[in-house]
Amino acid sequence: MGNSSSSSSRAHHDDSVDYGSLTPQGVYTGQRDWNQNIVSQLIIARRLAPFYRPLEDYEESWDDDQILAARKDIQDSEHSDNTTTRNDAASIAASHSSSTKSKRSNSLKEPARPEAQIYRGAVECPICFLYYPPNINHSRCCDQAICTECFVQIKRAEPTTTHVVSEPAACPYCVQDNFGIVYTPPPWRAGLGSDGFHGIWSDRSTPEPTNPPTHRRRQKSFGADSPEVVTTDHIRPDWETKLEAVRAAVARRANRRIIMRQVGDRLIPVGVTSGRVHALSPEEAAAAAAAVENAATSSGRRSRRRRPDQQGAFEQFIGMGGQDLEELMLMEAMRLSLLEHEEQQRKEAEEKKKQDASKAAEEGGPGESNSSHETSSSTAMPGPGPSTLEARSTSNLTSSSTSNLSVHGATTTSTPRSSSPSPLPQATNKSSSSSTQPTHVSSLSQDSLSTSTSGSSGTQARSSSWSLSRSRTPPPPPNPVTAAGVPMNEANDAAWRARGSSPGGSSSKSKSALGTLSSAAALTSTSVGAAVLGGSREGSRETSRVPTPEPTSKPEETVQPPPFNPEPAQDLAPAIPSVMTPGTAAIPMITVMNNEDTSTAPLTDELAAAMSEDSRVVEENPFLAPGEDADSSDKTNVTPPSTERSNNLESA
Amino acid sequence: MASISARRLAKELREIQGEGCPVGITLLEANDFSKWLFTIQVMGESLYQNEKYVLQFRFDSQYPISSPAVQFVVGEGKEAPIHPHVYSNGHICASILGNEWSPVLNVVAVCVTLQSMLASCKVGHSLSVYMSSRPKWLTLVLFNPLLTSPVDNDRYVRTAPDNPKKTVFHYDDDT
Repeated sequence: MGNSSSSSSRAHHDDSVDYGSLTPQGVYTGQRDWNQNIVSQLIIARRLAPFYRPLEDYEESWDDDQILAARKDIQDSEHSDNTTTRNDAASIAASHSSSTKSKRSNSLKEPARPEAQIYRGAVECPICFLYYPPNINHSRCCDQAICTECFVQIKRAEPTTTHVVSEPAACPYCVQDNFGIVYTPPPWRAGLGSDGFHGIWSDRSTPEPTNPPTHRRRQKSFGADSPEVVTTDHIRPDWETKLEAVRAAVARRANRRIIMRQVGDRLIPVGVTSGRVHALSPEEAAAAAAAVENAATSSGRRSRRRRPDQQGAFEQFIGMGGQDLEELMLMEAMRLSLLEHEEQQRKEAEEKKKQDASKAAEEGGPGESNSSHETSSSTAMPGPGPSTLEARSTSNLTSSSTSNLSVHGATTTSTPRSSSPSPLPQATNKSSSSSTQPTHVSSLSQDSLSTSTSGSSGTQARSSSWSLSRSRTPPPPPNPVTAAGVPMNEANDAAWRARGSSPGGSSSKSKSALGTLSSAAALTSTSVGAAVLGGSREGSRETSRVPTPEPTSKPEETVQPPPFNPEPAQDLAPAIPSVMTPGTAAIPMITVMNNEDTSTAPLTDELAAAMSEDSRVVEENPFLAPGEDADSSDKTNVTPPSTERSNNLESA
Repeated sequence: MASISARRLAKELREIQGEGCPVGITLLEANDFSKWLFTIQVMGESLYQNEKYVLQFRFDSQYPISSPAVQFVVGEGKEAPIHPHVYSNGHICASILGNEWSPVLNVVAVCVTLQSMLASCKVGHSLSVYMSSRPKWLTLVLFNPLLTSPVDNDRYVRTAPDNPKKTVFHYDDDT
């Protein structure tokens, strides 16, 4: 197949230049990542030697038959090379000699054969060790011969993410930068671009050995920018694009952060943010489109040989996608390890929970528990597995975060509770339903392509599930309207527990952990205020919970669901811890991004004082695991991870 | 047949078999075009007198455009030379095997270069690091107090890839 196409192309003058070809003859089998159009034009313009079929060997004494016999048909061997991977030296030598013999006997006995004549005075390429007609390229700097097959292989070292520079290819002979060649065409022309020129021996009746155009060593070297020089960059004009792509990838990686969550005194990696801002730049997208177009139009005779060329363009983008895939896989691994950890925690907390729940039921009023029961049941609706759970937990986090804000508001104005309870179930429902699609993976990819940050809390909750991408963008401040907080009481607790019994239940936390990176960042500072405030107000009251987002361990001590509190004049103190409880779920999300942007929550003097006082508490106040904490009733202060600590978590 | 690598290596092999290797270098094994073994000895007075090392070449299909993976064989009674540019796992930090590789170079040229790299390693010429973690080298270190492995040997050997070409060496010392 390769044989027929190559010989037919040679028969047509259309495709040949001076009895050589516009396309490689298969000396190299790798990817053809140069710009073939440019190479063809340079060959036609006689600025680059055509691709000649090389001779395995050459002797001056050979006649035409011997020359043509030595002219290996590499296309064939290239084809068979795909199936036979390695031959040992002996078999190669054997096949070589046998094929030489057979070709010799088969060769035609025509008198005039310029195809053979052009090899008179053949030159060995010092790189591939094959022989080519004497009109071969010479290095611009040191005047060494190099065949076109080898020349197109030489290129800049591909920039890598660890070595983000692209230096021009150096001359393989003298190591001078900006490798380029100069080609001196033969005095005759044939094939493309030969109109108006005499053929090689057209004016002669009998072919006699002519003096081959011998290469005179030139005295001067050409500059890289001389008009007759063809450099490696000329035939790979995309090197800059590639460099830019790698730079972008590196920048993206540099923006990536590992998000840690603190459980007890352990820091658990829960995810990796993606620094990606956009999927493809307009130029990249255009290039990809062009590549598709080219691949489609290059069907036909040459399509097989051009494809690798086009694939080069594709691989670039596939590779970029692979990095995101890598991120996903890493996150999945983290998630699984988290699950394991949480499952254990959940079991520990389970027993305590039952006791506490019954205790809480006694304290809480029946009406409140009813109303909040509706809420919790609506959010805890069993849905299609993990995604529902995930949605539920994120929505919970969102509302809990906003509840923190409302606490601030309450603190500053000394009004215990101002928001109406009604928006809460709606918001929770909305967020859970909006993210109930079982296709969170696809929504993830959408997210990673979009740079927008959603405004409403419902969409925020949704997009923050598995939010890989926009984490650098600070989330809008939580909407105080929905800030009533998820009522936490026995019923809610039961809902949590019901959730937790499903395998996805525990996973929801980690997913939410992944998801709320940005909102968590926003929460960090506000939670500080709330937590400290609660602690300072309450003194030794045992209500404040550890900030573990463990759903099952949360609610047992939260007695008063604030939104449904019938008495507005109720003391603030009990309300704070109850609100705090869900709020703490977000605290352990450590992320270093935009922490400063979120510290806009109003702080009272008291709070500020408490904060400065407690700013370092995190160091000696590890967040206890819920199991331990359920017992210890003296723990009051919930402190956020300090910023400097989270800074340490930055992954460069 | 035919990748450029097999084609060119066949010619190099023919040349080696026809003309022989330079002094101190012998072809040990070349059963195919993916891996060749040479023995290498440093001629004359040197720190490596009477030592014979085995050098392994691995070629991919893009040789000679891409450099061969060259390292000293370690194990089965063979050791890598102790040299500031040679790791104890046999990997070699030499620029011509990395970013200064040129397709014009060939197997014999690499052998000769490495041979001269060893030969030029004189006492007092190298970095001085006491490798307390490698007691078996103590005697050598005592005899040649300045002859050591690379400074980061232990760290590198612990994490080194099988193929030295996958390592990005930092060529900071051209002794």
